[in-house]
Amino acid sequence: MFDFLIHGFAVALTPMNLGLAFLGALLGTLFGSLPGIGPINGIAILMPLAYTLGLPAESALILLAGIYTGSEYGGRMSSILLNVPGDAGAVMSTLDGHPLAKKGLAGPALGLSAVSSFVGATIAIIGLTLFAPLLAEVAVMFGPAEFFALMVFAFASMSVMMGKDPLKTAIGAILGILIGTVGVDSGTGVMRYSFGMAELYDGIDFVVMIIGLFAISEILLMLEHGNRRDGQDDSIPPLGRVFVSLKEILACKGAMGRSGLLGFIIGVLPGTGASVASAVAYTTEKRISDKDDTFGQGDMRGLAAPEAANNASAAGSFVPMLTLGIPGSGTTAVLLGALMLYNITPGPMMFTERPEVAGGLIASLYIGNVVLLALNLPLAGLFARVLTIPRWVLVPGIALLAFVGVYQLHSDLTAIYLMLIIGILGYLLRKLGISLAPVILGYVLGGLMEQNLRRALSISGGDVGILWQSGISVGLWIAAAALLVLPWLLPKLLAGRTRHNRTG
Amino acid sequence: MRVTADRLLGLVLLGLAAFVAVRALQWQIPFSYEPVGPRAFPLGLALLLSILALVLVIRPGTNGEWPHRALAMKLLMVLALLMIYAALFRQIGYIPASLLAATVLARLFGASWGKALITGVLMAIGSYFLFTSGLGISLPDGYLAGIV
Repeated sequence: MFDFLIHGFAVALTPMNLGLAFLGALLGTLFGSLPGIGPINGIAILMPLAYTLGLPAESALILLAGIYTGSEYGGRMSSILLNVPGDAGAVMSTLDGHPLAKKGLAGPALGLSAVSSFVGATIAIIGLTLFAPLLAEVAVMFGPAEFFALMVFAFASMSVMMGKDPLKTAIGAILGILIGTVGVDSGTGVMRYSFGMAELYDGIDFVVMIIGLFAISEILLMLEHGNRRDGQDDSIPPLGRVFVSLKEILACKGAMGRSGLLGFIIGVLPGTGASVASAVAYTTEKRISDKDDTFGQGDMRGLAAPEAANNASAAGSFVPMLTLGIPGSGTTAVLLGALMLYNITPGPMMFTERPEVAGGLIASLYIGNVVLLALNLPLAGLFARVLTIPRWVLVPGIALLAFVGVYQLHSDLTAIYLMLIIGILGYLLRKLGISLAPVILGYVLGGLMEQNLRRALSISGGDVGILWQSGISVGLWIAAAALLVLPWLLPKLLAGRTRHNRTG
Repeated sequence: MRVTADRLLGLVLLGLAAFVAVRALQWQIPFSYEPVGPRAFPLGLALLLSILALVLVIRPGTNGEWPHRALAMKLLMVLALLMIYAALFRQIGYIPASLLAATVLARLFGASWGKALITGVLMAIGSYFLFTSGLGISLPDGYLAGIV
């Protein structure tokens, strides 16, 4: 049953792939540490360049996965040292991380977060190894109708769990799906929303989309943050002693274990990523361990919990991506798009048909995780320096990378203009409180959703009943409906019961 | 009704939904045995989007923080600069265009002219060799063709 893993280690341990895992981890940590660049931006900027290297699919995926996990590691730098979270998933790490840094324990805090990230990720990667093949076996039974129901479920869970405002998350997802419909319709050859522009016949290129949406909008957003003073001092506190002691690590072992498991489970659910996982882990840990009311004032367990959960959910979100082809987070949606560039559609058949890709990726996660710990413990001080790179160096660098990344696709200027337009759109959406992760998930999944719907209805000859004929799809429809209704219904039920208790 | 950013967004989205639907209805669809066709999915999305947009118009959220006039000017300048960069990219070649774009961007993001110029020169030339020799990407040489 674990043949794929043995095969995978054989792939991942070749010198080139080992080097790529190392390079990815290093680049990811560097990009994750850059102020304001989260994992998703890092991958968006680096992906086209990885593409130009002409790597085989499994190597490219190993590099990108290294960048992904590496940037999750790097994201904690600015949370702990500057109280500025690099992305939504790192918000919880500021709560106890920054107070620790203020106490002169910045070095141990960075070390502890590296260790807890390692523990959380290890738990989740083992979970991935155990559950992914099982889920893949179940997923083989999925027909088009079940896949359609699964995607409805994914969008429902995303709307409820991702972001603050479910309404805006749903709107973002629909906008993403609509952008995905541009181009020739594969079923009939009808041109949809291409406005007679030849560049749009094949749809909006994936690379153009993510670079515009993330990198260009980030440049515009940075201009605002740069001009506004939040009363935060930009100076980095002294790191103090560099290593975290074993005693401190052992004090957090419960927090790491629990949060790692929680993070993995939340990561597996489609549409819920690191931000939900770290928030749930932090509040759970606070409820369990915060006996002396030290959370929020620099309690090590308050840092270990979100860090472990954060990285566990990153690995966990590979489960639905590899087995069902449904990404668990915005970042895995980007990775899924990268796989599609290689004409590989992730899904249940990947473990049997392309074991070198599935196994190689999982094996490289094991290797990358060790590499990251080895890199991050001794080099924390060096990576912390990255935080001091001024915006006026960072922004021109991002602009040049973005332009070259898009230009090298087809040596085409239209693509660059399109990237800028999408960048303006991304900026406006973010200002309006619509986060970009659902947009990119909608863009990646929308096409698959439509294909599966049309395939299902072709099989049944137009009878809609096929969509809820099997047990699996009925279960998924019910789960999706429950997700949409419960957050609205539960508080009312609970309020009703407390009122009842009071009177009775 | 007060005009807020969310209400405007809702109205724009309603317009978008209408546009999506009208375009979809105009398509000439060749006969096919497939029961659904290319029209149904966008039409369904347009319907869903218009419902959500209506909710947004009726119950808008907080207005958020919008850039004041000076910042808006700066945003437009950055956008204009990026457009000019795109226009010059092939015309005058990668190195001069990037030098110009990087220098002005650095200046807009708070560097002094001297520092901005050094950033621009180093970044334009350094990245050119990194991309062409290191990654094998071909970039437009423009006027510098034959010199570098």
